[in-house]
Amino acid sequence: MIQLSDAILSLVLLSVLLSLSSNRLVGLVRIMAFQGVLVSLVPLFLDQQHGIGAGSILFLQIMILIKGILIPGFMYIALNKVKIRTEVEPFVGYNASLFTGLAFIVISAYITEQLNISLPGGHALLLITAITTMASGLFLLMARRKAITQVIGYLMMENGIYLVGAALAKESHTQYVVEFGVLLDLLVGVMIMGIVLHNINSAFDDVDTALLGRLKD
Amino acid sequence: MLELVFLIPLFAGIMATFLPVKLGRIILVIAALLHVQLTGMCWLKISAPMFDAYFRATPEGTLVLLVTSFIFLFISIYSVSYMKETEMENEHVFIGCMLFFLAAMSMVTLADHLIVLWIAIEATTLVSAPLIFVHRSKEALEATWKYVLICSVGIALALLGSFFITLSMDIGKVDVPLSFSALQAVAASLDQVWLKAGFVFVVIGYGTKMGLAPMHTWLPDAHSESPSPASALLSGALLNCAFLGVYKTHTLLYAAGLGAYSSNVLIVFGLLSMAVAAVFIMNQTDYKRMLAYSSIENMGIIAFGIAIGGLGTYGAMLHLIHHSLIKSSLFLSSGNILLGYGTKLIRNTGNMAKLLPKTFFAFFAGFAGISGFPPFGIFVSELLIIIGAFRSGRLVSITIFIFCLILIFAGAARLVMRMSFAQHDNDILVQEKFLRILPSYALLLTSAVLCVWLPESLYQTIINAITAIGGGLNG
Repeated sequence: MIQLSDAILSLVLLSVLLSLSSNRLVGLVRIMAFQGVLVSLVPLFLDQQHGIGAGSILFLQIMILIKGILIPGFMYIALNKVKIRTEVEPFVGYNASLFTGLAFIVISAYITEQLNISLPGGHALLLITAITTMASGLFLLMARRKAITQVIGYLMMENGIYLVGAALAKESHTQYVVEFGVLLDLLVGVMIMGIVLHNINSAFDDVDTALLGRLKD
Repeated sequence: MLELVFLIPLFAGIMATFLPVKLGRIILVIAALLHVQLTGMCWLKISAPMFDAYFRATPEGTLVLLVTSFIFLFISIYSVSYMKETEMENEHVFIGCMLFFLAAMSMVTLADHLIVLWIAIEATTLVSAPLIFVHRSKEALEATWKYVLICSVGIALALLGSFFITLSMDIGKVDVPLSFSALQAVAASLDQVWLKAGFVFVVIGYGTKMGLAPMHTWLPDAHSESPSPASALLSGALLNCAFLGVYKTHTLLYAAGLGAYSSNVLIVFGLLSMAVAAVFIMNQTDYKRMLAYSSIENMGIIAFGIAIGGLGTYGAMLHLIHHSLIKSSLFLSSGNILLGYGTKLIRNTGNMAKLLPKTFFAFFAGFAGISGFPPFGIFVSELLIIIGAFRSGRLVSITIFIFCLILIFAGAARLVMRMSFAQHDNDILVQEKFLRILPSYALLLTSAVLCVWLPESLYQTIINAITAIGGGLNG
């Protein structure tokens, strides 16, 4: 089973790299849906000693529903109302972004090595994936101009933070009520961002954040 | 049942969103009155929490709750009159979100669990976003976008910080519930490296929300573009709630013996915020942005005061109370000015002393108060922080501190003078009304009264809140 969790984590890494090099916004949303499902599955394969309780199965389903279906679905609706299909002239080019992503993996591996903390089941790859996902999310947030890509960057960062939580925190701290609250915040956050996005699109006829420069000192 | 403090505004908010606007306005004021009562019950320790794993009435929490509840009452009265004057497309959404905002902030003040606190603070961002973009202008959209994105990303880092604190528990082989009160008791056995890392992320995260420089960039935009009652709430209540997150984590580090480290971090952020505010307030063209930068300055002062300990910590808590009172009063007055002149630009205003005499008095008195003149409380709180800093021998920091205060006073005084006395030929668009004047005066009066007479229970609560980090009158 350990190999299975490593396979999932590798897929998460792959989705991160894909998202960095993708310029089609619909493709990005699909990658996020894929990544959301994968990230939700990770805890299932991590903790084998304790077994899987009824609570965690239920929570897993809710999480897949929110991260894999609701949030990407909402992004998809927002995207459909916006005419723009591709990211034009990003601040950092696609090849450079991909290279940065690879560099993040190397750096994360180094950091994980240095931290030298006991991970559940010795999953070094988990922390590497988590840090890479987080860093790439932040990078995407800064390197892209379209508001929708920034939301995706934010989501990716959240996924990374969730993985850090899964990697670092023991099972005993997990309380589903609390985690559900975090997820709910994320969902409502994306919905509000979608609404603002829609309004930006109708006010400016574009979702380019470079247009948002009226308020200055 | 302590949780009613945030459940009542939540239900009132749902009702107000779906009922007609006129009924919604009544619900807003009634819910504010009910909230004051529930806060009073919490203050008198009549109500106990039902979910005590997640919620608890701590002294610092009840203090912030009291301030929030008190200013919300006056802001709600003001809003009713303000909304009659302005054309708002989605007024029921505005009223609903005001109440949701109150609910989320109340939840922050009572949260004891690390992650529940995070959930509540993130919730305050989400429910206050519609308040900012209610006018749907291009500027308002930009401000909302920055607010939601910067704060969400910032707060996400605070979640990471909370996970690090959890990790410090695991490494230290401590098995207690993940709540501040439980961690406080076992703080000494937590792993120090991860606790420090967690603190840095929490300060960056909640500091973004609190308006500490250099993460403050959303704050002037959001405060200037939102309708004035919402600005008053953002500045007077929301910033305190974010501060509470920083404060609780600081307390935890202090208990773990890392007080010196966390204090230094807070001092750097505090002074930086003051310096940034001083630079940007100088040539400000928009009076609401001026007030927003003043909020950044005051949050810096509070962070600084908490960090120096002893008398300074007591001063910082007083500062928190008085800043909320005076700043929300100022923002409410600025709403009257905006209605009167129809512009936020300082150069298009003038001669307020003649044209809007009552608003002028409130605004000018508020300005005097926020600059630290008696009879308002900030005079006392800043004095205590300065004395505290001298006592603890932080001479360089206190020099920068005083220098920034002088710069900000000089910069803002010029602008306020211009607004009050400069030539202005056009007529006033909307006249002053009693209900839009009363809240500003009431808030200022409270600050003045609290300056000379501090109720025993309030004093005791402040002392209880700060003894955990070595604060006190004799420190």
